[in-house]
Amino acid sequence: MAAVDAKSENTNEGNKSDEEDEKEKSTSSSFECNICLDTAKDAVISMCGHLFCWPCLHQWLETRYSNPTCPVCKAAISKDKVIPLYGRGSSNQEDPREKLPPRPPGQRSEPEPQHGFMPGFNFGDGEGFQFHFGIGAFPFGLFTSFNNFGFGGGAHAAGMNIPPVQTPQEMRDERFLSSVFMAMAILFLLWLLWV
Amino acid sequence: MADIAVQRIKKELKEVIESDEIQRCNIFVELADDDYQDLRGKIAGPSDTPYEGGTFHLEIKIPKSYPFKPPKVKFLTRIWHPNISSATGAICLDILQDEWAASMTLRTVLLSLQALLAAAEPDDPQDEMVARQYRNNYPLFFKTAQYWTYFHAGGENSNSEFTEKVQSLKDMGVSDTRALIALSSCNWEMLQAVEEIFS
Repeated sequence: MAAVDAKSENTNEGNKSDEEDEKEKSTSSSFECNICLDTAKDAVISMCGHLFCWPCLHQWLETRYSNPTCPVCKAAISKDKVIPLYGRGSSNQEDPREKLPPRPPGQRSEPEPQHGFMPGFNFGDGEGFQFHFGIGAFPFGLFTSFNNFGFGGGAHAAGMNIPPVQTPQEMRDERFLSSVFMAMAILFLLWLLWV
Repeated sequence: MADIAVQRIKKELKEVIESDEIQRCNIFVELADDDYQDLRGKIAGPSDTPYEGGTFHLEIKIPKSYPFKPPKVKFLTRIWHPNISSATGAICLDILQDEWAASMTLRTVLLSLQALLAAAEPDDPQDEMVARQYRNNYPLFFKTAQYWTYFHAGGENSNSEFTEKVQSLKDMGVSDTRALIALSSCNWEMLQAVEEIFS
């Protein structure tokens, strides 16, 4: 009881700062890493919504590599399925645990295209032409989806999705592959016409 | 000792000290050495169990890889429980082995142990002798566990029959802890207990 009495005698100002302290404390504690219990550094969030420092979570995943689960709710978790949280102006702070592997990058998926699906393929007049083209395109469609590459210059013009951001090496490879496919497609079409 | 382990233990000690449970005298934890590797815990026996009224002391060893590996916990106070060894105090609890998760803390471990006292799992025993008694003769298990709580953990004694039996074995020159173990494991059959001790 003595403690309660003492508190009620505080000035208004004193009470206010107490409240602010309390508020600050609860705000910062909700951004604590669930492993080191400190404010999360290089923060990542799991699909189940639990916050960790990336170095902490990485170490946990290393210890549980055979069956990785979320340290909080035991949901399935993996390196590819955590999302980094990018705050503002925190990049200058040096992290003492920088030697640990880098945080996985953010995953950007492109928005849905505005116009309809591959409108460029409606240019054919005769039914026979469209039929042949369909068969001819099939193996290349398979290749492209398998390698996760775009279809090349022609397909871009036809309004297909722009491939995700790539390194220059990847872009060179892609250009080379698409030109190979293009040549194969032309040869195939010529062969079909000849037969 | 890794930095993260020491930081964690410091925070966890604070968490236990600030928690509601400590104010209700249910759980307690303190350092046993200065390098945050060895701790002592205390849990109160939950009410409506044979452990009610007892205080159970625990030894908590923090591994270097904590919190990625679980702490090693064992009972220092002897206890009659299917999932805790009556001889060594070793604990069979999933969260202290495979089911450990890095977000668990000393507070949650102590509360889980308290919950284990309230809900034994005789099908996954640590002490087969205790588990057998639990399955085959629960009333006797309850009385035995209650007597152990009185004997080792400071609970109340409500069983003069058991006291007499222990006393008569003591009169034969047997130590009281030895007498208690023999009687408990022989379902308090005097002859069997004597046979076990002197065979």
